[in-house]
Amino acid sequence: MKHPVRMLVVCAAALIWLIPFAWMAVASLRPDVSGTEDLASLLPAGPFDFSNYREAWASGRFPLWYLNTTILCVGILIVQCVTVSLAGYAFARLRFRFRGTLFTLFLMQILLPPAVLVVPNLAMITRLGLYDTLPGVMAPYFASAFGVFLMRQTFLSLPRDFEDAAMIDGATRLQVIVHILLPLARPGLVAFAIVSVTSHWNEFLWPLMALNSPSHQVLTVGLASFTSAAESGGSWGVIAAGTALVAAPLLAAFVIFQRQFVASFVFTGLK
Amino acid sequence: MMAPARVMSSNRRRSVTPRSSDGVYPRAAIQPPIWCCLPQPATLAVPALYAERIRTRRKPLSAGAVAAALLAPSLVFLIAFTYWPIVEVGLRSLTEQRFGETARWGFGNFARLFADPHFANAAWNSTLYAAGTIVPSLALALAFAVALRESGKLATVLRTCIVMPLLIPLVAAAALFVFIFLPGGGLLDWYLAKLGIGATNWLGDPSIALGSIIAITVWKNTGYYMLFFLAGLAGIPEDLHEAAKLDGAGAATRFLRITLPLLGPTLGFVTVIALLNVLTQIDHVIVMTQGGPSDSTNMLLYYIYQQAEQNYDPGLASAATLVSVAVLLALSVVGLRALERGMHHES
Amino acid sequence: MKRTLAACALALAMLARPAAAATDIDFFFPVPVQGKLSNEMQRLITAFNASHPDINVTAVFAGSYDDTNLKTRAAIQAGRPPAVAIESANFVREYVITNDAIPLDDLIAKDGTTPAAFMENFWPALRGNAMDGTHVYGVPFQNSTPILYYNEAAFREVGLDPDHPPATWQEWVDAAKKLTKRDGNTVTRYGLEMVTTYDTLGWLVSAFTMSNGGQYYNPGYGGEVYYNDPTTIGAVQFLDDLVHKHKVMPEGVTDPNAVGNAFFTGRAAMIVNSTGALSFVRENMKQPFRVAFVPRAMVNAVAIGGGSLIIPRGNSPERQKAAWELIKYLTSPEVAGGWSRFTGYFAPNMHAYELPAMKEFLAKNPDAKVAIDQLAYARGWFATYNTVAVRKALEDQVQAVLSGRIKAPEAMANAQKAADEILRPYVDRTAMKLPE
Repeated sequence: MKHPVRMLVVCAAALIWLIPFAWMAVASLRPDVSGTEDLASLLPAGPFDFSNYREAWASGRFPLWYLNTTILCVGILIVQCVTVSLAGYAFARLRFRFRGTLFTLFLMQILLPPAVLVVPNLAMITRLGLYDTLPGVMAPYFASAFGVFLMRQTFLSLPRDFEDAAMIDGATRLQVIVHILLPLARPGLVAFAIVSVTSHWNEFLWPLMALNSPSHQVLTVGLASFTSAAESGGSWGVIAAGTALVAAPLLAAFVIFQRQFVASFVFTGLK
Repeated sequence: MMAPARVMSSNRRRSVTPRSSDGVYPRAAIQPPIWCCLPQPATLAVPALYAERIRTRRKPLSAGAVAAALLAPSLVFLIAFTYWPIVEVGLRSLTEQRFGETARWGFGNFARLFADPHFANAAWNSTLYAAGTIVPSLALALAFAVALRESGKLATVLRTCIVMPLLIPLVAAAALFVFIFLPGGGLLDWYLAKLGIGATNWLGDPSIALGSIIAITVWKNTGYYMLFFLAGLAGIPEDLHEAAKLDGAGAATRFLRITLPLLGPTLGFVTVIALLNVLTQIDHVIVMTQGGPSDSTNMLLYYIYQQAEQNYDPGLASAATLVSVAVLLALSVVGLRALERGMHHES
Repeated sequence: MKRTLAACALALAMLARPAAAATDIDFFFPVPVQGKLSNEMQRLITAFNASHPDINVTAVFAGSYDDTNLKTRAAIQAGRPPAVAIESANFVREYVITNDAIPLDDLIAKDGTTPAAFMENFWPALRGNAMDGTHVYGVPFQNSTPILYYNEAAFREVGLDPDHPPATWQEWVDAAKKLTKRDGNTVTRYGLEMVTTYDTLGWLVSAFTMSNGGQYYNPGYGGEVYYNDPTTIGAVQFLDDLVHKHKVMPEGVTDPNAVGNAFFTGRAAMIVNSTGALSFVRENMKQPFRVAFVPRAMVNAVAIGGGSLIIPRGNSPERQKAAWELIKYLTSPEVAGGWSRFTGYFAPNMHAYELPAMKEFLAKNPDAKVAIDQLAYARGWFATYNTVAVRKALEDQVQAVLSGRIKAPEAMANAQKAADEILRPYVDRTAMKLPE
């Protein structure tokens, strides 16, 4: 191994990075841990069981939150795929008036995330009658300048032979996009999908403001109220278990599909 | 891996010429440039000005109309949720409506905004927060990337550890760190006590609360930035390093003279992303400190959220939003210009 | 022919069904203290739905008092107000000022009584926050006062008598000094800790100010607060001294998590917290503990805390009627008594204490009686125009004092200035609006 000292330092850093997760795992498995003196111990003795998870599952509403969050992410992704593919194609393959200006307008949106525009966006979805609905939470994300840029770059890097041949044979543009370009652009789409789902799964401020009823609640907002001691009863073990339940899906997906995740974030960043 | 990082460019009109299958001659653009959006098929004679080889094809629609149709879905949402809101924010910020009065135009909201000590606090805190998060997390991310660029089992595992915080929501991180920062019995204080250091009120002391919030953000984002640096590093050809080594350059010199300049575009890009995060990531403030203690963790977006939701003052909230957006755009333009300059370097 | 017969039969069957479906109403409730109150509330609502088949209530847990206020106002703004909401008792005045809650007088009248007579059911100290003039806007649901929780074992350890907890500020400081344990330079046990985060801090400071002889705010007019008066400055100075002069309280801001944890693990011998957390403390405190009045400066005085039920404006008459049924149920002696026993809040409905279940409970749990006894000295919770901002104007300054960054007199001058600025629009339209 090159640079053993350097590696040691990095190992120590990585261990530090893991500490919060380590505590989460350890505390969630200790029953009745509240009020004990060594609440913070990372290497406790004593009985371990899943009672905190059972309690968290019972007093939170995790199945509902999982469902709503999944609907949210999938819904956003589906519409995004449509809008960004069409727009990406337009910028990549067509020449038209104002193309440059329009492209700049699109790019600026990256610098104007919905989080900053919560106040007017809230007014907008209320006007559209979408307050306190999942579509209302999804709507501001349907146009993704980031995705448009990504798809444009992806399409640009694809050779035009197939398209040209197909068009000569009489295919419409839509057919070209759907049957030829998209399959070829799959890596880009997959990367985009992973980034999109991750960021919307973890979104908090906008769902907090746009949703009210508990039946529409998503994981992040649910977790925030769950850990505010009111529903978890203030028990740190239960709070840790609840946090684990929220963090688990993406973490598990990451550990399994590590390579794809890393490649996706890198790919999208590079483009 | 990718070729030298071709990162985001702003409005450069890159004429991309796709190569033909034999890789020799650039293919001509398929469509003749139609600046006047004529609805007729392209068998019209095209002015010699556009002297590219064009292929005559039957086209039922002009490129302009097609483009409009393809862009429409995105544009609808873009206008509804980005551009119209900006107009609305502008209008609302110029509308003064105090309690019980009728609305009227004026700059009163801006006057109140700049006179409000909470806004000054929020702006100052955001600046401190920006410096405190961007510099350490970028430095650490770069350091980790340089140290972990090899592909061995150990390196992969270590990279995973550092990237993991990226995957959890910030509120989940907040929940864990509330305990870690608990005075006396929390993780940090408990282990520090074993070293003989007394209890510290990490989130309740106005002088260090912001530091604690910064620590959470650095923990969460470093892995994300590390990924970009890894890609950027991989794009630097090995031969450059080899040549430099042959010339007798040490590791530090190589880093400063070769790596860093070639990472310019990546650095610029990551800085812009980090800046965006500074402005938009306030979940932990909402859940942990609510802007306190004593306004020491109040930030721009939290101030906006407070004015809109707690004080029912949409005029002030809109004025603050406008100012924040303006600052963000200004800083980002600066960052992106640096990016483009970096790309010039590269080519 | 068969088809027509079938259709007729179906139509008849549909006509024979009960006339109206149940009225659906939603109900926002906060849980401002630690404990499993959310589940218990859901249980109460389920019981209500079962006993009232013509009403279907959806209970929505909405966070803290501040959060619930935000959610309610957002819902009202969006045109979908909840039918009932529990708001912090001192927010009711603001709902009246902004015209966002309806007066309940008509609904009370339909039951054949008057607002004054209706409010006679509730403890006197609660009536001020629930009414505006003679109109009833909020019905008290859960109420609390701050109380002193103290560790019995620690008391005995240092020679203090647990049967005679400190009753005055002087005794309090003396006791706290004895109870504070040091190990070299670090403190291993603080004599006293209090919750000093937003909302609770303002509540406690108002209590201390009133105990110090002051008024703190104008209970008859929502545009005046008295931060920069000697009584308030004295109270804040007392807090400052506890931290910096007597060194019995930790520096900085301590949130409920930290305070609770400190008490349970023996790192704090006395804590001041709401009586609403009594059940939570009872469940988690493994060492013996007792509760007592908050010690007094000049007089015994505390501010009531808690939540009241309001009906936001914008609800149809059917929803209002259903909401009123829910309100009556939740504030009935039986339900109020049960909630009190479960949480530690005291029951706002005085008649709850005449029921045998309550008498039995109090006999077995004398600590639950302390808050009731302290009610004799309870006053209203400060409420003004834009209560939250005015409250935070004080809290930001006091938090700075607790952290050693500023001294009490300067802090209170700043707080008064900030508060006056916030109240100005309201004052200009009311007290300062003079004839042309």
